Amino acid sequence: MTDDTTPMTDGGTDEEARTDGGPPATVPPDDETPTWSERKERSQGLAQLTYQYFERSRREDENLRAESTYVERDVLGFPTWPHETIRNLAITSFFVGIIILIAAILPAHYGEPANPGATPGIILPDWYLYWSFGLLKLNPINPSLAVLDGNIAMSNEFLGITAHGIVFGTITLVPFLNKGGARRPVEQPFWAAVGVTGVVLSITLAALAIQNFFPISLDLLLTLTFMLPLAGGIITYAVLKTMREGYMYDLNRRYYMLRPPK
Amino acid sequence: MSLKKQDEMDHNAWLKKQDLTVIETAFLTTLIWLDKRLRIVDYLELLETMYYRANLQMPKSHTEQYDLDNKFWYWYPLYSLGSLSIIAYLVAAVSGALLGFYYSPSTAGAAAQGDPTAAYDSVVMIMTDVQFGFMLRSIHSWAAQFMVAAVFLHMLRVYFTGSYKEPREVNWILGVILIGLTLLFGFSGYVLPWKQLSFWAAQIGVEMALATPLVGEWAAQLMFGGFTLGQATLVRMYILHVFVLPFVVTGLVALHVGIVWVQGIAEPH
Repeated sequence: MTDDTTPMTDGGTDEEARTDGGPPATVPPDDETPTWSERKERSQGLAQLTYQYFERSRREDENLRAESTYVERDVLGFPTWPHETIRNLAITSFFVGIIILIAAILPAHYGEPANPGATPGIILPDWYLYWSFGLLKLNPINPSLAVLDGNIAMSNEFLGITAHGIVFGTITLVPFLNKGGARRPVEQPFWAAVGVTGVVLSITLAALAIQNFFPISLDLLLTLTFMLPLAGGIITYAVLKTMREGYMYDLNRRYYMLRPPK
Repeated sequence: MSLKKQDEMDHNAWLKKQDLTVIETAFLTTLIWLDKRLRIVDYLELLETMYYRANLQMPKSHTEQYDLDNKFWYWYPLYSLGSLSIIAYLVAAVSGALLGFYYSPSTAGAAAQGDPTAAYDSVVMIMTDVQFGFMLRSIHSWAAQFMVAAVFLHMLRVYFTGSYKEPREVNWILGVILIGLTLLFGFSGYVLPWKQLSFWAAQIGVEMALATPLVGEWAAQLMFGGFTLGQATLVRMYILHVFVLPFVVTGLVALHVGIVWVQGIAEPH
């Protein structure tokens, strides 16, 4: 991996100080330790399969390590003390201070006591559930099916719950749909566009939830709820595609030495 | 080997050899005298260590380390959002524990519909009578808001930097579960003061549960203690908020962070 004349990342060539690229630090098993084949012979069934797999996995690991051109970095991390500790203390104090400051200058609101007999004009959850509340107001797009004489197949409430399921399901599936080594939005304009669509959709759904506050018609609001995210996604895609050429060319050389693009 | 006291370092002889002023001699004599008895030199070493530790060199930022200067990709602050949500969670936990001393989850005390209940009154009492109570409730509320915001932004950061990719799929799913639980945390806390909006938010929750086929009625019974809101609802939300969720969420957060620890942080950009 590294021949003797390769300078290290700090420019030095002192072999004593070289931290990377040495021989693999494998410890040969002593007589007491049963070899993998001995364990395999002793075990049966699922345990045997497990051992077989582990052996394969270990071999695969060794091969991969032998073939790899990956250059380990000299600095893998910064010491917990003082670097990380001081930084974390600073971040923590600042953040807690901000919470206390905001709590002091904008005290929490308190409303009327609960009255089961009087429905308030505006029912709203906290802001972070507006999107969820918006999903419950999708009844105008609940499909009415011809086979049911124009009746809706599911209740409006259940439509809202299904929408929640779709949202959470889609988010959960993201790692299984988007594969590959690309990490930055410029490397994957489509998925960045999907993300922007989702973000804008959550905002427009929040607007749909507080529709009472909007002086525009419900039809227009519903159209915007779905068209704005789409527009946001398309714009993101176009911008990233345009940026891509120039950006990929300029991408940091060391970064791509570490992790070649696929 | 003799029992005679050894004095390998004859400091006084060394002192005499030096060409020193009176002040220097006095100072050194005192120092040597004290050091022989109190071993000040050990503490000096400690002080020296502390000096070097105090004069830290701050770590290279990611941009410096990867030579990414002048790149749009300077997202370093966004990499702290995960810990910010944990910090907000801790602040909410501490202030919530203090609020729990005074809050009573009871709908008793309302003579007619719309009268303040015991739960509502206990929050009023916290805000008006309890020393520092107004601030405490405000801190708890805002810590919750900050936590939810940090969790959302954390998810966006993970999404847009592709940090959920192999081998981190499990942690992404765990994160989705944690977001759901965070929202549930917020919802149950929103219900507890039993004010008008709390009641009607819970009402929407019950209606959502009842609209679900097959499991809906069971879920409504489990979460809200029935199909109409009342004492049972409040107690269930209270237990959910102060007993069930804290344990579950803390455990899952530990697992979430533990997996990050084991797998390493996704290559920063």
